[in-house]
Amino acid sequence: MFMNIKNPFKRSAANQVSSVHTQMGLPDPKNPLDEILGLNMRNALIAKYNPRSAIDKALDKVAAKDALESNGISCTRSIAVISDYMGLTHFKPEEVLPDAWAIKPARGSQGDGILLAVGKQGENWVKGSGTVLTPEFVMHHIRRIVDGQFSGESLSEDAALIEPLICADPGLAKLVPEGLPDLRVICLGDQPLMGMVRLPTMESDGKANLHQGAIGAGVSLETGQITRALKGHEVLTNHPDTGSQLVGFEIPHWEKVLEMASKCGPAVGLGYSGADIVLDVNEGPLVLEVNAHPGLEIQNINQLGLKAQMAIVGEDFR
Amino acid sequence: MFSKLKSKLRRIRERATPQVKRPFYIGLAVGLGLAGLVVLGFLNTESFMAMPSSFDGIATSQAIWGLKPSNLLMVLPLGSFLVVLARSFIGLRAFGLFTPMLIALAFLQIGPVMGPIVLGSSVIVGMIVAPALLRLRMTRVGFLGVLISLIVLTLVALQIVLDTQLQVDAFPVVVCALVVERWWRQWEKDGPVAAARVAFNTFIISVVVQFVMVSHIALMLIEASPLLMPACTGLAIAILGRYRGLRLSEIHRFAPIWLERRRVARDEEMAAQPVLPGLIDDPPDIPAMTLENTVLAARERAPPVEGIWVIDSVDDLNSFSRRRVPQIKPDSEVQFVPRSGASKRPAKHNAWIVRSAEDV
Repeated sequence: MFMNIKNPFKRSAANQVSSVHTQMGLPDPKNPLDEILGLNMRNALIAKYNPRSAIDKALDKVAAKDALESNGISCTRSIAVISDYMGLTHFKPEEVLPDAWAIKPARGSQGDGILLAVGKQGENWVKGSGTVLTPEFVMHHIRRIVDGQFSGESLSEDAALIEPLICADPGLAKLVPEGLPDLRVICLGDQPLMGMVRLPTMESDGKANLHQGAIGAGVSLETGQITRALKGHEVLTNHPDTGSQLVGFEIPHWEKVLEMASKCGPAVGLGYSGADIVLDVNEGPLVLEVNAHPGLEIQNINQLGLKAQMAIVGEDFR
Repeated sequence: MFSKLKSKLRRIRERATPQVKRPFYIGLAVGLGLAGLVVLGFLNTESFMAMPSSFDGIATSQAIWGLKPSNLLMVLPLGSFLVVLARSFIGLRAFGLFTPMLIALAFLQIGPVMGPIVLGSSVIVGMIVAPALLRLRMTRVGFLGVLISLIVLTLVALQIVLDTQLQVDAFPVVVCALVVERWWRQWEKDGPVAAARVAFNTFIISVVVQFVMVSHIALMLIEASPLLMPACTGLAIAILGRYRGLRLSEIHRFAPIWLERRRVARDEEMAAQPVLPGLIDDPPDIPAMTLENTVLAARERAPPVEGIWVIDSVDDLNSFSRRRVPQIKPDSEVQFVPRSGASKRPAKHNAWIVRSAEDV
């Protein structure tokens, strides 16, 4: 309905050719802006393909893990799940936790509330930055998670998920100074559309979060090679901290990664999904989580429009 | 500095394609319309500094703007329309979904100047106290509860300092507490700069919403027919809610992609253009086009004389379509410094020098 507002502004005959496309809702080959997926259209697609129950499942890392594992997709192992105050009182960090672990809120988003320990020092654990974590601090952090402080807008209780710390595949690990690089593949149904790898930097403090200064590098779906690397708005060819060349680097196990990513959405029930996959040194690709609302920055990183990719797969945008 | 900005704006204007211009013009028209409404609402405000206590018992919104409490309900859809517009067409990030509208309502109840003062001081108090509360290892519920009582204390303090009765009921207090909480969460998540930007957006939207809600036109429409406004804005929201295109802010965000696409498309077009056989002279035997030769030749050649016609094709011979040789602009205005030898094509003028009829 609102689309018709375009017409009074159309003047040249050149636009008439493309009107068939726009009427179909398909990207117009002559209009580069039309290849790009905006938030409005993304939200419409999510409303179309991702049912509420599946989104809830994807938001809860514990439930998503269950669904993925029952579909034969390998995920990161869990040490313990603390879902209520009962579990909290019985939890003894000294007995259960290994030397290196990760504690995550099951409903956290954007890496909020994730605590990582890389080693043990007597009674205490040590963070990657060298900060000492006492058992009391760890317990307080778990209590904050269970209270729901990291679980978005709702004031609901949450579960704390404890996993062993993942050691990145040496091929990928040598690209970055510290932290765990992760791969993001956006899928529509079981069709991978676009992929990227997020590489932590010193500035991002070892986190693979683009907002905090990590590098996003576009990965070609066909070859698994990095085509383009971007930090903020700055185009890079080499990693600023390690100096290793990024463009042209071939992601190990890429075929396997794509295969896993294409299964993730259907396993959780999502039609439009973004799978976060890490490469473990021993176990190969492991799914970290599946996003029901994957971000759009991947388009800038790959310099490709998601809408155009979707049209190739056969999406009609209605 | 000002001229630099001007030339930058001109450059953007020249590079923009119709696909970018169209939403920009729509946005400009909407923005101008809104600005007009805001000015109207502004003009409708007679007593900016009046304290709520000076209206003895009459609600602030009625005393200042003549907005009857019963009509306050009718302008709500207008506010929500503006919020939807700012969100899904312009793409402004604000605290929460309809928080700007709630803030605007709170402003309506406290007054156009007192509202921001109350809100601002609540946020400042929250900012001072929040780190201390977090050090106490408070839960979120406790945090919110303490915030509400602190804001009430702030209001009491303000009343004592300003020596007035604010006549604030529960609604603005809760709105203030929500804003402080959101502000703090945003600060924790994205850092102070991003939080300040979102807070600024929220503030601007709520001020615009406030003044549009009390603008003369809106008040007149409500007086004329109370149901007209909710029905019309409801319809407008329904239409706007179906908008699936890019938001204005996203055109800026994804500009690198479409600029690149356009560059590639233009290069392809250039490559595909057939060379007109008769019109271009055989180049005088240039020695092998090595990089050194090209650079040397480019250095030796004087810049094109001003006032020479450019003739690329037969059409250019018509007197009305003649173009002058483009002159080299000073560095501050050109986009890229021209580099000899960067392109694969030999450097040559595609201009014929025409001084008399025989030359044609």
